[in-house]
Amino acid sequence: MLGFLQVLTSGIAIGCIYGLVALSFVLIYKATETVSFMQGDLLMLGAFAVLALNAGAGLPLALAVPLGLAGMFALGAGLERSVLRRALGQPHLTAVLLTFGLGLMLRGALTTVPAASHSMYRLALPFGDEPLRIGSLALAPAHLAVIGATLAVAALLTLFFRHTRAGLALRACSENARAAALMGVPVGAMHTLAWALGAGLAAFAGLLLAPVTFVHLNMGLIALKAFPAAVLGGMTSLPGALLAGIFLGVVEALAGLVLPEGTKDVVPYVLLMAALLLFPGGFGAALGRGRG
Amino acid sequence: MMPAFDLRALPAPPRRLVSAGLLLAAAAVAASMGLDYALGQLAFVATFAIAGLGVVLIVGQAGQISLGQGALLALGAYTQALLARLGVPPLLSLPLAVLLAAGGGWLASLPARRLGGLYFAMSTLAFALIVEELLVRWSGLTGGAAGLPVPTLALGGLAADSAGAEALVSVAALALAWFACRRLLDSRTGRAWRAIRADEGAAAASGIDCARSKAAAFVAGGALSGLAGALYAHWIGFLSPEQFGLMLSFELLMLAFIGGARHLAGALWGALVIVAIPQLIALLRDLLPAGLGTAAGLELLLFGAVLVAVVLWRPQGIAGK
Repeated sequence: MLGFLQVLTSGIAIGCIYGLVALSFVLIYKATETVSFMQGDLLMLGAFAVLALNAGAGLPLALAVPLGLAGMFALGAGLERSVLRRALGQPHLTAVLLTFGLGLMLRGALTTVPAASHSMYRLALPFGDEPLRIGSLALAPAHLAVIGATLAVAALLTLFFRHTRAGLALRACSENARAAALMGVPVGAMHTLAWALGAGLAAFAGLLLAPVTFVHLNMGLIALKAFPAAVLGGMTSLPGALLAGIFLGVVEALAGLVLPEGTKDVVPYVLLMAALLLFPGGFGAALGRGRG
Repeated sequence: MMPAFDLRALPAPPRRLVSAGLLLAAAAVAASMGLDYALGQLAFVATFAIAGLGVVLIVGQAGQISLGQGALLALGAYTQALLARLGVPPLLSLPLAVLLAAGGGWLASLPARRLGGLYFAMSTLAFALIVEELLVRWSGLTGGAAGLPVPTLALGGLAADSAGAEALVSVAALALAWFACRRLLDSRTGRAWRAIRADEGAAAASGIDCARSKAAAFVAGGALSGLAGALYAHWIGFLSPEQFGLMLSFELLMLAFIGGARHLAGALWGALVIVAIPQLIALLRDLLPAGLGTAAGLELLLFGAVLVAVVLWRPQGIAGK
């Protein structure tokens, strides 16, 4: 039972990361109709940026985190302004190739830095490695931090999308860009905002992942699991993507308990194919839930 | 931050000029590196062109997207390798490899065939990742991550053990595949694909079974990938799962994008470019300052840069119009 609870917590924590990356993917896809294949690279770059500011430049974590995230936010906006804008209104293939190429460039550029490619790093946590004990249950602080931070981000995003002018405009733009433009929403600026938020969210997910795994060049591979999460969430629902991510994390963790070694990594993809066959609108549509 | 450059201002190259340039470059390579090297490269170009034909059918003709072509190549390659190791003659094992990969194409596209569009990308991607994981985990059969040596392609006393024989077999296979594709494009199925690409609603209203036609495109694409994979297994001589990862699927997409997905000939030009790019990147490395040129990750960076530049130059594909 205790082991089960511990596996469940770690599953939820990893699921939160899948969910956050899926959220960033769906946010970009909804707002700009662009498929981003570079979320994993943005995730990795975000973790490295904070690491470089913290361990490299010696800034305290409280300063390095906001600076790193702001940098990634700016990178997302800059890439949209300069390059990604060209993929608007083109077939999906164009955006897929463009973002994949940009992702390769980001990863390649980072690999040329010898310090980044030669070893794995651990981001120092402000609350130590000592597990939190409740009775005889021991929970890893990194996992709890991931869950707490994801909840906080979800709450902030809800406030942003429901109660701020920019958030409402972004939603309007995602629903119907032409109508939004006629109502005076600056659609171009909203595209930039969507990419900035998408890059920032992916970087934040990387930051949360850093204490759980290590910071290394292949940590972006985890973003592949965000595609099943996005599909299970119905491709256009932000809360759906986050919830589906957590669901996948839990299912994967439980599959690790039950199924033979190595099969658990396949589970999300099998679920993706099964979900497309059985619930083409995503689980959310099957439950008849409102959109966020 | 990247400057706001606009590559679209550059003119599209005249097709004849590009063709002549590529052939000239190929001739130059043959002259400078020796005939055997050139023939070996020709075998790879023809093999990639076969896989490229599959992408042209799916992307260019039916207007769908596949991110799993690499895995279908893997299915063909591993089937051929395992059967060849058992001593099964290629006349039997090649059709089996093609059949298995065609089945893979069918399965990969099955979940998305009613949804279309981006969902094909998702389901083929999931299929590819499952296949890759299987190849690593099922090490009793596939050799796992350690890899699997492949014997030379041989039929009776004839063996394709020289670069010339490899090139001959590849070109013959390409010619066969090309002929089959021509026939397919002129058939009812080919017309259905073009109708779906132009307007799926109108195609359905005209009595075309869209789901079935799209599945047919993925089956045909899978079969061609299987053939390419089976030949590739022999030419490369050693299989490991990471050769068939996501990178290969994207290279094949890029091949069709560069060559122009609307024409069968696009697969050939694309294959020529894809085989040439690593050599070009090696040349570029030599031009860079010594410290920079040897850095790891540079190939990734340059490949990404080429991809981005190509897409920015002609967002609809180079020979797309």
